[in-house]
Amino acid sequence: MTLAELPAAIEARGIRRIYAARPTPVVALDGIDLDVPAGEFFGLLGPNGAGKTTLIKILTTLLGPSEGWARVFGFDVVRQAKQIRRIMNMVAGGEQSGYGILTVREQLWMFSQFYGLPGRDGWRRVDELIELVGLEEQRNQRVSTLSTGQRQKLNVARGLLNDPWILFLDEPTLGLDVSAARALRALVVEWQRAVPGRTILLTTHYMAEADELCDRIAIVDRGRILAIGSPAELRRLVRRESIFRLEVDHLDGGPAVLAGLPGVVTATAAARDDGTAMPGADADQRVAVNLVLADDAALAGVVGALGQLGSRILALRKAEPTLEDVFVELVGRGFDEEAVDHPPDEVEPAPAVPPSAHGPGAPEAREVAR
Amino acid sequence: MSTLSGSRWGAAGPSTLDPERVRGGGLGDALRAYLAAVRLGWATEANWTDPFLFFIYSVAKPVSAALILVVMVEIVGGEAGRAFRGYVVTGSALWSFVIAGISGLAWSVLDDRERYRMLRYLYVSPASFALLLVGRGTARLTVGAMGALITLAVGVVVLGLPLDPGRVDWPLLGVAMVGGLVAIVVIGILMAAVCLQTRQDSWSYPEAVAGSLFLVSGAVFPLAVLPQAVQLVGLATPLTWWLAGVRLALFPDGPSVVGGEGSAWALLSGSTAPTSVDIALALLTTGALATLAAAAVFRWSEHRARERGLIDQTSGS
Ligand SMILES: Nc1ncnc2c1ncn2[C@@H]1O[C@H](COP(=O)(O)OP(=O)(O)OP(=O)(O)O)[C@@H](O)[C@H]1O
Ligand SMILES: [Mg+2]
Repeated sequence: MTLAELPAAIEARGIRRIYAARPTPVVALDGIDLDVPAGEFFGLLGPNGAGKTTLIKILTTLLGPSEGWARVFGFDVVRQAKQIRRIMNMVAGGEQSGYGILTVREQLWMFSQFYGLPGRDGWRRVDELIELVGLEEQRNQRVSTLSTGQRQKLNVARGLLNDPWILFLDEPTLGLDVSAARALRALVVEWQRAVPGRTILLTTHYMAEADELCDRIAIVDRGRILAIGSPAELRRLVRRESIFRLEVDHLDGGPAVLAGLPGVVTATAAARDDGTAMPGADADQRVAVNLVLADDAALAGVVGALGQLGSRILALRKAEPTLEDVFVELVGRGFDEEAVDHPPDEVEPAPAVPPSAHGPGAPEAREVAR
Repeated sequence: MSTLSGSRWGAAGPSTLDPERVRGGGLGDALRAYLAAVRLGWATEANWTDPFLFFIYSVAKPVSAALILVVMVEIVGGEAGRAFRGYVVTGSALWSFVIAGISGLAWSVLDDRERYRMLRYLYVSPASFALLLVGRGTARLTVGAMGALITLAVGVVVLGLPLDPGRVDWPLLGVAMVGGLVAIVVIGILMAAVCLQTRQDSWSYPEAVAGSLFLVSGAVFPLAVLPQAVQLVGLATPLTWWLAGVRLALFPDGPSVVGGEGSAWALLSGSTAPTSVDIALALLTTGALATLAAAAVFRWSEHRARERGLIDQTSGS
């Protein structure tokens, strides 16, 4: 099957998911429309509770949607779950799951059998994967004795057992140290690139991770997609604004005091350039601030205000927007203000989404032209 | 990396997604998945690693339960009670099999969801969920069967039960054991479906259900002593016919589970005691009905669990 003949890896329309929680039902997904072509590395970026895991559960046939429909490689998630399960796998981070009494090899082999690998192929594949994820030394160790990172490697190996067409990764690097996370990212990228058509849907909180890995990203908040595009396209969303990185010797009241100034779109704490500490937390009181300004002219007001506050500017430079800026702008500020700030002519609505799908008065997702 | 860009499952091969994959491998795949689940169930039974615990649970418990019942019946019933020895020992022995089988299946849901947190991964694998659960429960079922056999052997050797291999009705015994096994698995599936729905720990449900079936299926006393309406419930339970079949096959002269003067069976059929053919047919019919009911309940339960997100919901953290 050539790539062109493959149906979309993910196609979702009007997905809503409501949990019957007490005291009030929770709307976890509120009208998700999504198209992910085969072969794409797609990211879902959003704050806690945005609905990322819920969407993954629906696409992996673990949970039914309350409304709407979704297809994975053309198969309906409700009616054709069997087919999807043959070509899909998932890995979630930060989990303490596993049959503690089995060894690494045994647990993987068990799953190879659930996926229908013939016995000998199963063992061979298990050993290949153990090597691939770097668990050779633990291969005959009990799962219960594995460290968090090793468990996650085992989890990833399980996720690759059936050589899925699409792999769902729900915060796969959660709880991993820097080098383990880097190794895991390299592994999944390499795996995905090895065969055209292999698709990955990743959720993450780490902007850098999304930026580095994803062909396209959807920014999600409160069950809705706020924007979709490649990292570069998303960054362009805030380019018309000026972004400055400011470092001052001290700032009474923190970055918030700057947020109210005229022309200041957002003022948020940033990690200092030397990366030594989070702002304000250390004795020397230096503070680093990410400033998003409506235009460069607003800078004069900020400098003046800093003078009045008695803060001395240590460094100031104009910065390229990062995904974090996009995220802060889209999510941090709430969408209602957003809609006012950006008149409709600047916002290209996603063509496949009829406004009625969101209900009356609901905001549109921003589809960035590719 | 190149090792992973395989054909269906092999090492080297085409570097495209293989459309064959969507089809799946039919019976062979199902058998493989079942056998792996059996091994999984076997391995996760921690008791295996401790022979002492294993002995307590699978041998000492059923044997002592049978002996206690025998003593009780004979204190209450005197000489008449003595005639019931074979009856009581078989009932009690087989019942340990019932409990082990039903709880083995139901507990595999709870174990995998609560303790190992792997139920979601079993569920989203292409293998049949029900089949995996049956596989997971097979180890306990097997141990239950061993316990039952040992209890019977103790009954014959220690209590001198009149078991004469020459008079045993082997065909009836075979039919009854197969039918009974199916009935136990089916009830286990039913309980697994119930446990899938519960948010709280429901470890005791299987034993509670087995306990109530114990009363109506003639495990320790003939159905005839029960009120007519309750007898009817008993007659609709495949376990009743399984017990009746095994008893009639092993001890042809012993008391009948279902028949007797004025019993519901006598009123319905006009004969005092069912023949082996009656028993086989009744077991088949009630077993088939129970299977249909369990299949329907399981489907409903799976559907509802997916609607409500119960498959990976733990009661704890
Ligand atoms: N089983 C449930 N019952 C009730 N509410 C739920 C359930 N599961 C999730 N929710 C709610 O649905 C919303 C979305 O949750 P979800 O787990 O999808 O978020 P997420 O984007 O994955 O968040 P995180 O980044 O923290 O993992 C949250 O408000 C959460 O509280
Ligand atoms: Mg999540």
